[in-house]
Parts: sequence; structure tokens; C-alpha cells
Amino acid sequence: MIHVRELTKAYADLERGQVVALAGVSFDAHPGGIYGLLGPNGAGKTTLLRILSTMLQPSGGAATINGANVLTQPALVRRQIGFVSANTAVYDRMTAWEMVEYFGRLHGIPRENLTPRMEGLFDRLQMNEIRDLLGAKMSTGMKQKVSIARALVHDPPVLIFDEATVGLDVLVARALMSTVAELRDQGKCIIYSTHIMREVERLCDRVAIMHRGHILAEGTLDELRSQHGQDDLEELFFQLITSHDGPSRRRGEEAVRSFAGRNS
Amino acid sequence: MSWTNIRLIVSREVRDQLRDRRTVFTIVVLPLLLYPLLGTTFLQMAQFLQEHPTRVLVLGAEHLPAAPPLLEDGQLAPELEQDDRLLELDVRASPSKTTPADVVGEAQRLIEQGKYDAVVYFPENFRERLEAYRARSDDEDAAEEAAQPPSPQIYFNAAKDKSRIAHDRVTALLRRWRELVVQRNLERHQVPASATEPFELALRDMAPETGRRAVVWSKILPFVVLIWALTGAFYPAVDLCAGEKERGTLETLLCSPARRSEIVWGKLLTVMIFSMATSLLNLASMGVTGAIILRQVEAAAPGGIALGAPPLLAVVWLLLALVPIAALFSALALAIAAFARSSKEGQYYLMPLLMITLPLMMLPMFPGAELDLGSSLIPVTGVMLLLKALIEGEYAEALLYAPPVILVTAGCCLLAIRWAVDQFNNESVLFRESERFGLVLWARRLVRDREDTPTFGQAILCGVLLLSIRFFASFLAAAPETWTDFAVSTLVLQVALIATPVLLMTIVLTRSPKKTLLLTAPRPLTLPAAVLLAIALHPLVVVLSKGIQMLYPLGEGTREQLTQITSILNEAPLPYLLLVLAVVPAICEELAFRGFILSGLRHLGHRRAAIVISSIFFGVTHGVLQQSLSACAVGVILGYLAIQTGSLLPCILFHMTHNSLAVLAGFLAPDAAERPWAEWMFQSVGDGEYIYSTPVVALGGAASLLLLMWLRGLPHDSSPEERRQHALEHQTAGAAP
Repeated sequence: MIHVRELTKAYADLERGQVVALAGVSFDAHPGGIYGLLGPNGAGKTTLLRILSTMLQPSGGAATINGANVLTQPALVRRQIGFVSANTAVYDRMTAWEMVEYFGRLHGIPRENLTPRMEGLFDRLQMNEIRDLLGAKMSTGMKQKVSIARALVHDPPVLIFDEATVGLDVLVARALMSTVAELRDQGKCIIYSTHIMREVERLCDRVAIMHRGHILAEGTLDELRSQHGQDDLEELFFQLITSHDGPSRRRGEEAVRSFAGRNS
Repeated sequence: MSWTNIRLIVSREVRDQLRDRRTVFTIVVLPLLLYPLLGTTFLQMAQFLQEHPTRVLVLGAEHLPAAPPLLEDGQLAPELEQDDRLLELDVRASPSKTTPADVVGEAQRLIEQGKYDAVVYFPENFRERLEAYRARSDDEDAAEEAAQPPSPQIYFNAAKDKSRIAHDRVTALLRRWRELVVQRNLERHQVPASATEPFELALRDMAPETGRRAVVWSKILPFVVLIWALTGAFYPAVDLCAGEKERGTLETLLCSPARRSEIVWGKLLTVMIFSMATSLLNLASMGVTGAIILRQVEAAAPGGIALGAPPLLAVVWLLLALVPIAALFSALALAIAAFARSSKEGQYYLMPLLMITLPLMMLPMFPGAELDLGSSLIPVTGVMLLLKALIEGEYAEALLYAPPVILVTAGCCLLAIRWAVDQFNNESVLFRESERFGLVLWARRLVRDREDTPTFGQAILCGVLLLSIRFFASFLAAAPETWTDFAVSTLVLQVALIATPVLLMTIVLTRSPKKTLLLTAPRPLTLPAAVLLAIALHPLVVVLSKGIQMLYPLGEGTREQLTQITSILNEAPLPYLLLVLAVVPAICEELAFRGFILSGLRHLGHRRAAIVISSIFFGVTHGVLQQSLSACAVGVILGYLAIQTGSLLPCILFHMTHNSLAVLAGFLAPDAAERPWAEWMFQSVGDGEYIYSTPVVALGGAASLLLLMWLRGLPHDSSPEERRQHALEHQTAGAAP
């Protein structure tokens, strides 16, 4: 469903020169599974997902979604994906219903099909009480629900969630994760990026651990645990990242960790 | 592009804007309040100014003659009492034994302190001298005594408005009094008063009343409509682009299936709607307020300037012209706003946009501005002049120049829209993030991160740099007087001021001088082809430049300079002439314009745009407008040659041949009449000037076409950006899976 091969992205930065945000990333994701991207801030997750949603162009490599090339067939790609990110906000001066309807219409869904579909979505996501509320008056949780409804309105085969639980309270975050799990059960191909281990453990079938533009390890959670002889995902994550950063940095981080340990 | 998507986006954006209180206020409420408010203020100010009396001190009133009287009991004499309420006179006898210097000092002090707006001083013996001057004509002997008429002094301060008004009023009063004196003198000689006015001027304005109204409105209305169209476009554009970036909703829209071009068109149409609405509401509000004020002014002072309502047809023309103008301004505003990171940054760009468009809007307001082919080709100005002609009812003229105006406006609209679409396709514009900026950092980065060829920005910078160097050099260098002067200044310009900066920039800013300056060996056949193309095109270029000179005739000063240069060139030996005018410029200018600049511009992804921009730079460096235009056309051919052959060598050969032919034609053509073989080649256009005969031009044109077609078939390299652009334009999408 999603094939990513040797994807690179570099951009020029005034201070740091040529910055490599993605250094040759490859992976595959399949329908009916949740592919997790786990990595600290700045690992390149958002860049990768922005490339997959055709908002950025890769500097090298290739990616196809359902057979459509992200570089040369961006319009086709966007029809197949639903993208929910911390950066895809809700219009302030539109109600929940208007917003979802707008994107449904942009996807070319005829009005007579759109209304029943939206009724179903609003029921499923329990959004009926915010139906006529303007975006500006919504809480973060309500906005995220609208974003999800917006991403689902055209029933895409691929869904991309980029740090979708950021800023949500525990209740809303749990509800979001159960929605994601439901979607997987419906046979969607889902990419789920986060920096929270527990979300990965709860949701993902396969995980790629990303750091500084590289995928350090990839596989099912069990494969990763047995390969690296470490049962605790957080420890495993930490090991991978520190060994990638090299010994000098490791010493510094260890010091920070022991300091943090003493204080906790 | 799907029209349904565009319509969806438009209706959403319009609804969104209408739900925004600020937008509604600026577009609807502000004009409705602004003009009545301005009108009231104007009326009050006008009343205040009109009724403000002027205080004048009169010194030396005792020196005035008894008849005809100027003053009576410290007041104006009844005969002169027309505007007495505007003149507040304070009459004082001049203190005894004053010198004129004392009076000046006193007057200065009083005006400075604001006690009086003007001081009038009748010098001692004024009465006697007046009498003596009158008597001079009676009595020849008295002539010696009173050669000069007596002159009362009016002291005022031109730097103060009130004092200037006082000056005008006092002068007018004294003129009226002088007439009375003249009449009295004539009466004494028994000459009838009519002798002073042997004939009377009869003024008959042939313009009908509506025509006079149209002249005034034709200047005001287009300006009001255009300026509000620009303002009305700018604020929604900033909100729809920079504002959405700020609020994070742009990314939501970008990941929807709507194409970038659909998004741009949707936003563009929205901005256009608001631009037009703002313009129309302002026009309507101004019209209503203006009509009320004019009625009041007329009621107050009947017989003044009767400026009635604008002709109805004028409003129709305005509405028609508003559509393309709003489209142009909206596309410009949108492209600029797309670049801004935040609304605040967006607001900063209003000023530069105004600086570019305002002169174009002011140009037609100058008294001499007329609609002709030259002015109709200037964007915005052409539209305003066309509107002016239409409102004044000059339909024949308007019809003649409407096609060029429409073409130019449509061209500008398309370019601006294309720019806006490009901005939306450019991820570094859409996802611009703020970063720390430092000059040293930036300079270091320029060198550290250089690529094989210069960036788009560096290419533009190079072009602007060459232009500014040329601009300053033209002030420093004196006009050449001898051939040596001319040769030296041309060589310095070419080598030191064009080639050297370009080579330096190439070394510092790029990794591959070879790729940047196209220093590769071309296919051997392209070299003779380039020479042949230059020869074949030469007659066409001559016709073109003659045509341009007919459209935009050379100014007197420029013509003189050119004649002087031609006479200098005629003294020079031919080989040197070719070296200075053909060989050196060909090498230096090609390195700059087809080398560095074109290579950088090709990162744009649009080959044609790259060629056109590089040739505009090439044209503008030629200084004189008329030369620039034809150089620009030659630049397009040169740019095409560079891209199709991938080498600078054919361009240098073309350029060299082209310039040599111009030099040689200057030598050959004057003798054409004496050489039988040249007879069929040249034809005289009078004034000892020759152009190529029609068969030569046609033959050259056909040969050039063949050569260009051959060049078109050559395999050539595309830049990565051009390949991507090509793929995007030919993508197979649209249908759902």
C-alpha cells in the first residue's frame, strides 16, 4: 500500500548549512495494520509524513501510495490519504459541520451521499453537540475530532496521523486511539507517528524507530525486543538513540539521566 | 483544473471573510462612514478658511492723497468696500522721522509675532510724488523730477499661508484703487475711460457642459477606482494566505485533493470579489457625499464651478475596466501575501506594492498624458488613459488603442497569476520558517552551500548589480569626445564593470564555472548556424528598431548624443571599431546574461520565463529605452540559443555577428545609392536613412525561422526544476482510484 524507498530530504539552513532531515528512509506499510513511527522531536517524522502527503517534495528517493507517486502524481495521492496532524488546524470561522462538508465536497462526494456519510461520522465520533459550533469556540479535543472527521470524510484507504495526540487530555487521547484501532480493523493502512512509547505499545503492529533522519530499527514490537534483548521499549529506544549518537554524546546523556533519576 | 473545486473554495473563502468583523468593517462600513465624515470636515474647514479675516496694518496713511480716497475715517473708502469683512485694517500714522529701514524692521517684527498678516507702508511724499508723476505727462519739464512712480510697500511673509493670502487681498485692493486713480487722471485730461480698454476679450468655451464635467471626472474616477481596487485586494489576500499560514489552516487545505492551481484560483477570485466590492462601495459613497457637498457649495456661491454628477456612461466604463484591474491587483497581492509568513509580515509588503503601482496610476494624471501606442503599452497607465478617453467620449481613439491595452493587461494578469501559482507550488515559500539571520552567517552560507550553478536569487542579484553599476558609472563617465575616449570607456564598462563582477560571482558563489558559464564545446554545426541566424535576423532587427523609434521617438537630447557618437565612430578605423563594438561586448555580455544570469534563472523551472527575464536584464543595460526594447528581443533569441545548444560559444558568435553587421551597415548603407549591387538590398526612408528592402527582410525572416526550427530539434538539457515542472504539468491524476 505504502512503499517508501531511500527517501531523502535536505534543505538549506542559514546557521547549519545543508540540513539532512531524512537520510535515505525505506519502509513498507500494508492495509489492516498500523505502522508506527517512533522518534524524538526533530527525528524527521513530520518531514517524512509531509512528503507522503505531497506537501513537501523529496530531494531523492521515491514513495508511492496505492501506486501513485508522491512527486509526480500529487493530486492522485491526496485523494487516497486522510492526513491528521498537529499542524492541520480547523477554520476558526466555520462550524464543524461546514468544515467537514467543505472537505467532503472538495473530494468530489456528491451531496446526496455526503449528508448520510457525515451523519454517520458525526454519530461515530460523538460530534453532534459541536455540529454548529464555530472552530474558534472549540476546545483542543473538539478540534481534533473535527480534523479526524475531515480526514475520514472521503473514506480513504490510507490514514496518516502525525503526533495527533499532542495537547489532548487523557480521555480524548484514549478515544482517539480507539478510533485509530477501529479504523485498522476496517482494513485501513495507517501510519501513526508519535514520541510516546505507550501509544506505540498499545496500537502499532510494526514500528520504525527514527532518529536524525535515519530509521535505526524496524519490525514488530516482539522482533525488536528479541533482536536487541531488551523487553522495555523505552530502554530499547534509549539504547538505540544513544548508540547512534556516539560515545561522547552518550556520556553526556547518561549524566543527564542519572541526574534526572536522582531527582525523580 | 476543476471548476467545482474552485467554486467551492471561493464560496468558502467569501463566507469566511464576511464572518470576519475586521474585513466587513474595512470594506463596507469604513467607506460608508469615511466619505460623509471627510465631507463634513471639508465643509467646515472651507467655511473656516473663507471667513477668516486678514489683519493688515497700514502705515503712513497721512501721506495718501485726498482723492480718490483709499481710506475714510480709518476704514476703507465706500467705493472700494467689496470685501471689507475679509480685510481688518489698522491704520496708523507713521512715526515722525522714520527711515525706511525702521519700517522694514517693524513690519518684520509684527508679522513674525503674528500680530498682523501684512503691513502696507505709504512712504513720505507719496501724495506729492503721485501728483508729480501725473503732471509729468502734462509738463515735459517735470519729467526729470519724477522719473519713477511712487511705490507703496507691502510687507508679507511668503512662508506663512495667512500672510500670503493677506498679500493677495491687499494687492487686489490696491489694484482697484490704482484703477480709480487712473480714471481720475484720464478725466483730468478729458480722455474717456474707455480709452484704457480699446478692445474686450470674448471667451467662448466650445466644450458642452457634459464635456467639461467629463474632463474633471475622467481624472478623478479612474484613480479612485484603482487605488481602492488595490487596497481592497491587499487585506483579504494577506488574510487568505499569510493569515491561514499563521492559523495552520493552509496545510489542511494543501493536503486536500484540491490542486494548487485550484486553490490559487479560488483565493484569487475571492480577493477579486473583495477588491471590486471595496472599489465600488467607495465609489458609490464618494459619489453620494460629493454630490451633496457640491450642491451645498453651489448653494453657497452660485455661479461657481458647476461639477454635476459624472456621466452615466462613465460609470459603465469604470465597471468594465474594474474587472481586469482587480484581477491584476489581486494576483499581485496574492503572490506577495503567499510569501509572507504571518499577517504582520504581509502588511509590510503593502508599501513596496504601492511604490510600484502608484507611479503607474499617477502618470495619467499629468496634464500632458495622452493615449497613444506608447502609453497604451504601459500596464495600469494604459487602462487609466483608455478609461479617460472613454469617459471623455473619444471613442474613435479609445477603439484604436483598446487592443494593445487589453493585450498588455491580460498579459500582466496572466504573469501575475502564474507567479501566484508558482508561489503555492514552492515549498520553501509555503513552509518558510523563521530562522536567525546574521550577515556573516549568510555570507558564510553563500560560499559553503554553493551549488553547481547560481540560485535564482543570485541570478536576479547579479542582474540588479550590473544595472546599478551601470547606472552609477553613467554619472561618473563624461560624454566621450574622441574615439579613444569612447573606446576606453566602452572597454572599461564591458571588462571591468560587466565581465569582472560576473566572473567573481561565478568563482565565489558557484561550484562549477563550467556549467554556470556554459563553457562546453557545442555541436560543431551550431556555430555556423549561430552566425547564419544572426545574419538572417539582422534585417528584421533593423525594421524592429526603426518601428520602435517611430512608436517612442527619441528625445532631442538623446538624438544629439547619438549623432555625436556616430560622428566619433565615423573617424575610427574599422578593425578597432569591430573589436570595441562587437568582439568585446559579445564575450562580456554573454558571460553575464546567457552565462551566470540565465543559468541561475533556470532554477525557476520555467524555461521561457528564464529566457524572458534574462533578456529584460540584457535589454535594460542598454540604457536608452528604444535600444533596450530591441536588445530585449535579441536577448530572447540569444537565450533560446544558449538553452538549445547548451554552450555559450554559439551565443558569443551570434552576438558578435549581430553587432558587426550593425557596424558594417552603418558604413555601407550611406553609400547605397552609389553602389548598384546595394540597390536591391536597401531602401531609403528619407533623411539619408536606409533600411533593408522588403524582399531582404522577408528572406531573412524565412531563413531565421528554418534555423530556429532546426535548433528546436536539437537534444538539450533541462534543469531538475524544469523536469519536475514538466512532470507536474503532465501528471495523470483527477480520476478517483
